[in-house]
Amino acid sequence: MYTLGIDIGSTSSKAAILQDGKMIVGRSVVSLGTGTIGPEQALRQVFFESGLSQSDMDCIIVTGYGRMSCEYADGQVSELSCHARGIHFLLPDVRTIIDIGGQDAKALKISEQGQLIAFQMNDKCAAGTGRFLDVMAKVLNVDICELGPLSEHAQNPVTISNTCTVFAESEVISQLSSKTAIEDIAAGIHNSVAKRVAGMVMRLGRPSAVAMSGGVALNIGIVHAMERELGCPVQVHRFCQSAGAIGAAIFAWEKSLEKKV
Amino acid sequence: MSEMEKTPVLSAADQAAPAPKPKRPKAKSLLMIGEQTNTLFENARLAKERGEKVGWSASIFPQEIPETLGLNILYPENHAAGIAARHQADPFLQECEGPLGYSNDLCAYAKLNLAYAAVLNGESAVEFPDGGKMVKPDFLLLTNNICNQLTKWYENLARQMNIPVFFIDTCYNPCDYVTETRVRYVRSQIDQLITDLCAFTGKTWDEARFREVMEISQRNSYLWERANNLMDHKPAPIGGFELFNYMSAMVCNRGKKSTTAIMEQLNAEMEEHIRQGTSTFPVEEEYRVSWDGIACWPYLSHNLRTLKKYGINMVASSYGKAWAIEYDDLDGMARAYCFASTNGDNATTMLSRRLEALKKFDCEGTIYHVNRSCKVMDCQMMEIQRQLSEMAGVPFTSFDGDQADYRNYSEAQFETRIQGLVEVMKQNKEAKCNG
Amino acid sequence: MADLAQDLARLQTASENPRAQLDYYLKQGKKVIGCFAPYTPEELVHASGMIPFGLWGGHTDLKLTKSYLPAFACSVMQANMELGLKGAYTGLSAVIIPAICDTLRCMTQNWRFGVTSIPMIPIVYPQNRTSPASVDYLISEYETVLTMLSTITGMMMNEKALCETIKIYNEHNRTMREFAVTANEHLDIITPQVRHAVFKSAFFFEKSEHTAILREIIEELKTRPVYDWPGKKVILTGIMCEPDQILDFFTENKIAVVGDDLAHESRQYRIDIPEMGGGGLKRLALQWNARYGCSLIHEIGKPRGAMLIRMCRDYGAAGVVSCMMKFCDPEEYDQPYYEVDLNKAGLPYVTIEIDQQNASYEQIRTRIQTFCEMI
Repeated sequence: MYTLGIDIGSTSSKAAILQDGKMIVGRSVVSLGTGTIGPEQALRQVFFESGLSQSDMDCIIVTGYGRMSCEYADGQVSELSCHARGIHFLLPDVRTIIDIGGQDAKALKISEQGQLIAFQMNDKCAAGTGRFLDVMAKVLNVDICELGPLSEHAQNPVTISNTCTVFAESEVISQLSSKTAIEDIAAGIHNSVAKRVAGMVMRLGRPSAVAMSGGVALNIGIVHAMERELGCPVQVHRFCQSAGAIGAAIFAWEKSLEKKV
Repeated sequence: MSEMEKTPVLSAADQAAPAPKPKRPKAKSLLMIGEQTNTLFENARLAKERGEKVGWSASIFPQEIPETLGLNILYPENHAAGIAARHQADPFLQECEGPLGYSNDLCAYAKLNLAYAAVLNGESAVEFPDGGKMVKPDFLLLTNNICNQLTKWYENLARQMNIPVFFIDTCYNPCDYVTETRVRYVRSQIDQLITDLCAFTGKTWDEARFREVMEISQRNSYLWERANNLMDHKPAPIGGFELFNYMSAMVCNRGKKSTTAIMEQLNAEMEEHIRQGTSTFPVEEEYRVSWDGIACWPYLSHNLRTLKKYGINMVASSYGKAWAIEYDDLDGMARAYCFASTNGDNATTMLSRRLEALKKFDCEGTIYHVNRSCKVMDCQMMEIQRQLSEMAGVPFTSFDGDQADYRNYSEAQFETRIQGLVEVMKQNKEAKCNG
Repeated sequence: MADLAQDLARLQTASENPRAQLDYYLKQGKKVIGCFAPYTPEELVHASGMIPFGLWGGHTDLKLTKSYLPAFACSVMQANMELGLKGAYTGLSAVIIPAICDTLRCMTQNWRFGVTSIPMIPIVYPQNRTSPASVDYLISEYETVLTMLSTITGMMMNEKALCETIKIYNEHNRTMREFAVTANEHLDIITPQVRHAVFKSAFFFEKSEHTAILREIIEELKTRPVYDWPGKKVILTGIMCEPDQILDFFTENKIAVVGDDLAHESRQYRIDIPEMGGGGLKRLALQWNARYGCSLIHEIGKPRGAMLIRMCRDYGAAGVVSCMMKFCDPEEYDQPYYEVDLNKAGLPYVTIEIDQQNASYEQIRTRIQTFCEMI
């Protein structure tokens, strides 16, 4: 039995096909989100990779920002629940998931079965999200994917104390004009994000068995900064970007089991 | 040690100047403040060891009451200011907004103190930068004349530590005066509170002692106001920011003889400067300004460095006089505390007080600290600014800061805004000179 | 059938267009007094022959208010100030503003100078309700309000009128409570959005008029069979829960609202004015003393958590939705405590931010959906 999960985000579209809810037979990630050809492309790619087609799918569940306008899905589930299931599938020991996306940050507490128990979200403020890093990368005139590795070479990380992105930007500029090493500034930026997110995570209680997902999880600087802030290791699965789609596919499988009963 | 690690006038930046100046010895009054603060905390600690009940109090609670009863009282707001000024606030803020689950929006004194209390209470594990000298209270003394957040903050402390709150509701005054009905209500609460506090602590009320404390408090208020008023000389005898250092005497020790000694010393020092034509303000006084709002404790040195650059001395502040509380008897005390601080800050009163200060101290500008922690001030500040600058013809600027949360400040913004104010003040000065 | 739909529609319309209600009363030659959130002595207005009209903000862009309030002043006051400044409240003879929190203290002054066309009447409620002296103090505040009302409008009350008003207000309280209970047996008709409209409309009617409409609604509902709600049930807590977009998310997820601890809704109707115990003003003051479970009214012990747990049990709710008014510090102080209590009781909760200037609700939708998936 094949089920399909689609995660239509604001800046990317992901799809995953599971066989019997246990094995990933197809997976795609496209850097275009809701309202673009991204979702369509993600579908085409995942069918191509798996050698399957839409008619082979027993059930399709859609999640993510663009889930409300997906006509061919059998149902939609929130990205928090899908993420919880997806990461649990990839890393069964994890109990706390930190998802830092482009526009928001979430912390999820999950059960042994991958059920979502509690969550915290920052969806209003740019600080502590990928947006903050984007803004600062521009100021430092480096590519966003260089920012993390850069921060790892810091000798004396500076403190960026302001939580307001606009003010923090001026702090970074001020550091640059004082000729502070760019690595040290980058480290300061990463620590600032980690601190902000850690505060949100701590509201769920002291975390254990932590994993990160979301676009920012690919930033090694952030992962290490989070480890320092939380005082515990942080795992990042190489498929973490697909967690939402995988979770949706699992929900799809559960739904199709129900249908059969 | 005073709650200021260093005298605000000389910062590390000053000491790195090309021609090194010898470090000016700390004024005797400041040393006395340091001693007094140490004594306050030490006495509280010892009292706890003896099994006596120790309290925490709001900053403008009628201290005459616990002072008369001989109780040891500590002040969370003042303590939090000290932690913030010494840059030790971060772990408490993180703890408060993290595991304790509080919103970032709240007053930073409260955030700091609630986290500190959580450590005292065994709920949190943040290391005390001060060894836990702010000992765990057995009761709370609360008034809301400074703001309403205090009421909620203390509700939480009471439940957290399972201790009673002795509360005097000092109703806000939308009029320019305190109504008799308020005086009666506050007086009635004061009478009841004295009875209840005696019952709780086992202390007894001594009328003679109360009269003595009232006298000392009145004298201290007089001396404090006198010292503030000496700033009307030109040049002002001290750098105005230094007056913030003495607040602990007026907040935490207002009814004590040690404060009388400090205030007398301070007055003497200031008068000496006036006699000599000197000042502790490190450069020539180019501009005289008033500062509206509490100090931006985490960034005092940056504030000072910036102001010093332009020779700006703060000669008047809205905070200095807030603790000069005058009365003759218990009814008068009820009235005075009901009108104290922001309780007496309906727009007309706020304006007349500030106008008076601008004129008296001959201020050329006003700097408004938009203190993120303080909605009770910030939410009517804009209207006050407009009206005041029109009435007084004095330019103003404002900057975003915080009394204790170091994350709400931008050095670049402060510098730009002050520079802007200087440009206007300079223009005005030149225009005046040219007739 | 027609009556029920008509009555509900009437309340719905009033709730969507309070301006039309205001004009309706003005046309009748009535004087209308604006009553700021959260609590004002409406009874004094009513007894003086005028119409009290609730002012709880609304969806509006913020422009003029930026000259008075900083960005971090609470959302509902930003809206009230904006609406006042831009003339949306023209026709009101005065407003009563309770200085019950720091922002509201400042609102008395901002309005005083900003909206000079509508006179401002302040009232400062006592917060030390254990003090017997608080009763006399509050009575004197009421008398000041009455003096200002009569000076401004020329309308006065007398003891008889006040006693009549008290009866009307108590009757309204009882009827609102009865509606809330009855609604739980007809959740197919009384959706979260309809429930909210019924509560909200109470601020835009003369109370006995509202009671009459409510009574019809309740009677009609009772003739129908009890509806067994198949979905999930929640309690709302906070200052207010709107706009309709948010309430519709509950419906979308088959969540029904079976009780609330909202300042805008049930908190207004929990406590009746004592029928005995002195004159009208005294009894009104005693009612204030009896109020409980509100972040804006000082209470020792942080009892809201226990109250919410009780409510969940009484109404069969699976969890609590905390409707956090943006930048409302009194609510922010209460939240960690009731969350801990709910946790201990094993009751799930979710927080949604209420921002009257909000334009996009996608994130709230996600939170509500996720919460539904959790409970």
